[in-house]
Amino acid sequence: MSKKNRSDGEPKAGERKAPPPPIANAWLASALAWLVPGAGHFFLGRRVRAVIFLVLVLLALAIGCHLEGKLSWVFSGSLLATLGTLGCMGSGAPYFVLRFGLGYEGNYQAAGYEYGSAFLLTAGLMNLLLVLDAWDIARGLKE
Amino acid sequence: MSHFLLMVTYAALVSVFLTVLWRRKPRAQLKLFLQLFLGMVVGALALAWLMYPFPSGPPAPIP
Repeated sequence: MSKKNRSDGEPKAGERKAPPPPIANAWLASALAWLVPGAGHFFLGRRVRAVIFLVLVLLALAIGCHLEGKLSWVFSGSLLATLGTLGCMGSGAPYFVLRFGLGYEGNYQAAGYEYGSAFLLTAGLMNLLLVLDAWDIARGLKE
Repeated sequence: MSHFLLMVTYAALVSVFLTVLWRRKPRAQLKLFLQLFLGMVVGALALAWLMYPFPSGPPAPIP
């Protein structure tokens, strides 16, 4: 008797709530978010926040480059170098433009090398957080 | 740029980013920003004070 009426829309006690409907293509939103910082949020209609995120990530990249920090690239095969590279690659297109378009690598003799490296890595990690956020928004899991 | 200014710049940048990412209402944003920013800056200064009696190696030679 209690199992008869399951299609009334009300979740019963102990039942799992139905997942919210997606509002956009999550794969596309995440790909855009990774490629250009803030583009995923712009695609999802969060335009003001998208501009703020774009400015913040580009600012971190600009400060990191100004201080001549290291833009990681795997050359030693060590785990930390690989993780650092993946973190920096989180910046998306700006990473590849800097690394391969402009030939930027950093200068370990510069006074601000360590700080600059932290800024460059942080820019990548911030953009990876934006990718996850865009995924959640597109899947309807977050407002 | 001095070490302190760079540290403050870094803390401000990360705090603003996480605040915009995680909070919507202005009051909650301000609260989280202050928590993150002051946590990073004051925490780093406190850690520096704690590390002060423990130098990492022999003193640098005087030129």
